[in-house]
Amino acid sequence: MADPNPDRSALLADLLARTALADQRAFTELYRLTAPHLYGVAVRILRESALAEDILQEAFVSVWRHAGSYNITKAKPQTWLTSIVRNRCLDRLRLREPDTVTMTRDENEAEMEFPGPGPTPVEMLLAGAEARSVRDCVDGLEGGQKQAIALAFFQGLSHAELAEHLHQPLGTVKSWVRRGLERLKKCLEGTGLAR
Amino acid sequence: MNLSRPDRSPRLDALAAAYALGTLAAAPRRRLAGLGQRDPAVAAAIREWEWRLAVLAETVPAITPPPRVWEGIQNRLGHSKVGDANRRFSAGTGWWGSLSLWRGLAVAGFALAFALAITTLPPGERPLESVVVVLAGPDAKPALVATAERGSRFLTVKAVAPLAIARDRSLELWMLPNGKPPVSLGLVPATGIDRVALRSAVGITLQDIPTLAVSLEPAGGSPTGAPTGPVLYTGSVERTY
Repeated sequence: MADPNPDRSALLADLLARTALADQRAFTELYRLTAPHLYGVAVRILRESALAEDILQEAFVSVWRHAGSYNITKAKPQTWLTSIVRNRCLDRLRLREPDTVTMTRDENEAEMEFPGPGPTPVEMLLAGAEARSVRDCVDGLEGGQKQAIALAFFQGLSHAELAEHLHQPLGTVKSWVRRGLERLKKCLEGTGLAR
Repeated sequence: MNLSRPDRSPRLDALAAAYALGTLAAAPRRRLAGLGQRDPAVAAAIREWEWRLAVLAETVPAITPPPRVWEGIQNRLGHSKVGDANRRFSAGTGWWGSLSLWRGLAVAGFALAFALAITTLPPGERPLESVVVVLAGPDAKPALVATAERGSRFLTVKAVAPLAIARDRSLELWMLPNGKPPVSLGLVPATGIDRVALRSAVGITLQDIPTLAVSLEPAGGSPTGAPTGPVLYTGSVERTY
């Protein structure tokens, strides 16, 4: 599947590689090219610019230190950077919440060890994917599934917040999210974007 | 790598998906992250979902971050020349000297009264703040109150009453370490309440900071990284822990 913007991906990958070699100019250029999008993502999720600035700083400090761990065969540079920022945003959102949300059985099971096939190789899933096809897959979701996933993804709502926001029982939104994600994955695999 | 490995358990895949989407509550999120640190299969499941979903973010509109974000990154990595601010300070440009004249005013009294008011609240209503700074002008009247829990990465700053600031000016909050140049904490509100993000927990950031100050700066904050305008308010850092 063709990268919609191969030149940009190649440029960012090059900048990341040079950043890994402690090239401050490459790092500056990487920031200039990617920070506005990443800041947009953080502001969207956190809904607070001071917090988003803080996360963006942390993320780029981390990128400077860990650029060497980036592997172009596993994710596009933009995807890798976005997942760093989103992950930090979500940690910040969740960790400032009180732990009063009642957990349901399957969440508690996160405590358990997972039996099964042992280490699975990390496959390149979306390297070179076209966002367009992903959005087609999202469009194919049912109303409730689509709404729940979009709210969770773009606004950082938790299961409990989704239930409140959508005026639905917790079990219903959790099932929307779970089934929607399963379907999304299948759709992505069907388009050849994933393994 | 063995690519013919059977698929991971559906339950792990579902949890990893919820983790990457961000819908897990704090406790299961922490547990799954902890599990991922010990178990490469869990880490791989999470990463795959993070990357799979990150593509959705390509449609989010970009916003140019303020320049202080990049400055902060450079400072934290030691990339920028911090010498400028130091030189400014050692040249002794005057505003600093005047500070000590009114630093000892009744400000501490207000802060203590404030802290006392907190600790006499019934336990259920008692906030967790463990740092209190009452910032006051030369008239010793409190203008801004900054509070935070010791472990928090934020100072909550509240204007006691709306402050009359020209439209093209901003209020900037500074840490005043002993014998060192002031360090900016960012802009603070002239009305209402706002939060100032810190680089590390309050207890660490303010550890050796006796005093905070607020200066009047051009809109958007000091262009030089050091205070340029008059200092309007100061307050000593009171710890209730």
